[in-house]
Amino acid sequence: MRDTPLVQSHGQRIACDDGVVDLVWVGDVLAIALAGGAVQLVGAGSEMSVAPHRRAILCACVHPDGCSVVTGGDDGFVRRVALDGAVSDLGCFDQKWVHALTSSAESGVLVAAVGRDAMIWPRGSAAPSHTFGFGSTIGGLSLDAKGKRLAVSHYNGATVLYPLVAASGRVRLERGGSHLACTISPDCGYLITALQETGLHGWKLPAKMQLSMSGYPAKTRSFSWSHRGRWLATSGSVNAVIWPFTGKTGPMEKEPLVMGGRADAIVTQVAFHPTGEHLALGHSDGAVSLVRIDDGAAVPIDAPALSITALQWSKDGHKLAYGDEGGRVGILDMTVRA
Amino acid sequence: MSRIPVTVLTGYLGAGKTTLLNRILTEDHGRRYAVIVNEFGEIGIDNDLIVDTDEEVFEMNNGCICCTVRGDLIRIIEGLMRRRGKFDAIIIETTGLADPAPVIQTFFVDEHVRARASLDAVVTVVDAKHILARLDDSHEAEEQIAFADVILLNKTDLVTSTELETVRRHIRAINAQARIHETQRCAARIEDVLERGAFDLDRVLEIEPNLLGEDDHEHDQNITSVSLSSEREIDPKRFMPWLRELTAKQGRDILRLKGIIAFPDEPKRFVVQGVHMLLEGDVQRDWRHDQPRISRLVFIGRNLDRTALQQSFDACIALP
Repeated sequence: MRDTPLVQSHGQRIACDDGVVDLVWVGDVLAIALAGGAVQLVGAGSEMSVAPHRRAILCACVHPDGCSVVTGGDDGFVRRVALDGAVSDLGCFDQKWVHALTSSAESGVLVAAVGRDAMIWPRGSAAPSHTFGFGSTIGGLSLDAKGKRLAVSHYNGATVLYPLVAASGRVRLERGGSHLACTISPDCGYLITALQETGLHGWKLPAKMQLSMSGYPAKTRSFSWSHRGRWLATSGSVNAVIWPFTGKTGPMEKEPLVMGGRADAIVTQVAFHPTGEHLALGHSDGAVSLVRIDDGAAVPIDAPALSITALQWSKDGHKLAYGDEGGRVGILDMTVRA
Repeated sequence: MSRIPVTVLTGYLGAGKTTLLNRILTEDHGRRYAVIVNEFGEIGIDNDLIVDTDEEVFEMNNGCICCTVRGDLIRIIEGLMRRRGKFDAIIIETTGLADPAPVIQTFFVDEHVRARASLDAVVTVVDAKHILARLDDSHEAEEQIAFADVILLNKTDLVTSTELETVRRHIRAINAQARIHETQRCAARIEDVLERGAFDLDRVLEIEPNLLGEDDHEHDQNITSVSLSSEREIDPKRFMPWLRELTAKQGRDILRLKGIIAFPDEPKRFVVQGVHMLLEGDVQRDWRHDQPRISRLVFIGRNLDRTALQQSFDACIALP
């Protein structure tokens, strides 16, 4: 074990005034979405702060154009922040909370969860073109790798549809209870939801065969698929719980890999390296680490502080950014040689 | 991290909830409240900290048959915590027809919410003029009284003193432990209503057991209170299994329970609370020196058999 956190020799730390809600890489620039409504843009040698929201930011994602950030707030606004700091409106939903966002560069779609509605922006659109309504508030959104199919979790199950088709048919997946975050596998072969009671529920698509994964002490809030969708890493336990998605039946009747645990802390965020089989972990005690899937070897990246709320690799996998409840942000640079 | 106190505001339509909320939000008391409401329009105040929501109830998949929870509250409280430091407490307004149980149960079952917020009190506004008719035609009105820690008996200027006395008696028969404040136009002191903390649990100690005999009900009341007490200390090894079994079997009928219990060789008071089948208990502060170590337990619910409850509670007395 090293005494000094790796981030000190191989990266940088940034102190923000508010808790970190989300982190978004736009090329080499890191956008830090903060609980107070501001977005901090950190590039090579430059730093800028803008305030797209009057109140808390609840979610953020990269814009489908690949060169700006989208934020959703509890002020009812969806806004686009360009790298020069220019802010423009994408939608205003009269005091409703915008609580989830997802986008796809491939299909150009942008989706926002606003109460019980999923708002859809087709490529290049500055306002939503259509809406899909659900019977209860949306728990989570997930697009497949091509951005063609959208999974929406809600009470009593989840729905899969084609977001760009306004009259899209819906595949309904039923299971009682409240379904929170969800994730669709890159090939759209599986949909997994996180349950309010803790644990995961899943469906193999298109057959709707159901699977259930339990044993989590806390709610799963973070999912990450490995390169090519072989593994699904999940938060909500002392260790990262990593389910195999190989073969015809995926994780059914298989044991997950468990690794990277820390005593007295829960894994809160997981993020697979975009090309390698390394998994970055954020913990509830504020520590950040990197584990190798092959053998479980772990490298500590940063020391404990407050609970980690966001963890993102840059698209090229050269940089790992993380942020915590107290506004501490770190960027690990994998290209630095010690 | 200190937990944010949460007040749940209930009351039948027209009882005066909105009047009370408007008072809380406009009076100069130096406290900042985040308010979760169902109808934006009703509140005439522009406040960044008012959140609109739908009452979304779902059933937990935890094998507990009556465990319904408000998913919207879980999400909103998580979201509000991002604005920590901008407010001191949270008020949740429920619609007049809502069953308060899912709101209260949310604070028992969700670990994330429990870690950040604690239920301070259920405050029920009661319209003195119309409550007797409401008790006859709606079970929600009765449940709202049953779940209350604090009752604002409002519009007392619209009834005669005899009518008021009848209303008081009915409320007491349903809920023997709530504090009742009589008001006109909801003009209560804010400190009587909000952020009362452990203060209200002490109320349990003040209730005279068996004050209300079964025969006191001239009305065919569904919900009643039963108050048990013991001057002898209680054996935790008997008490906890008994209470767990009782709530597992009769949880549907037990709306609320509260108790302060003296265990042998334990200088601190054991405080227990429950809603339907959910229980939570903990040793809290010391018994005061001038306070007799009398254990008390109050049940509010349907089909409560006072004699059987007292007998089985007595069976938990620690043997010398």
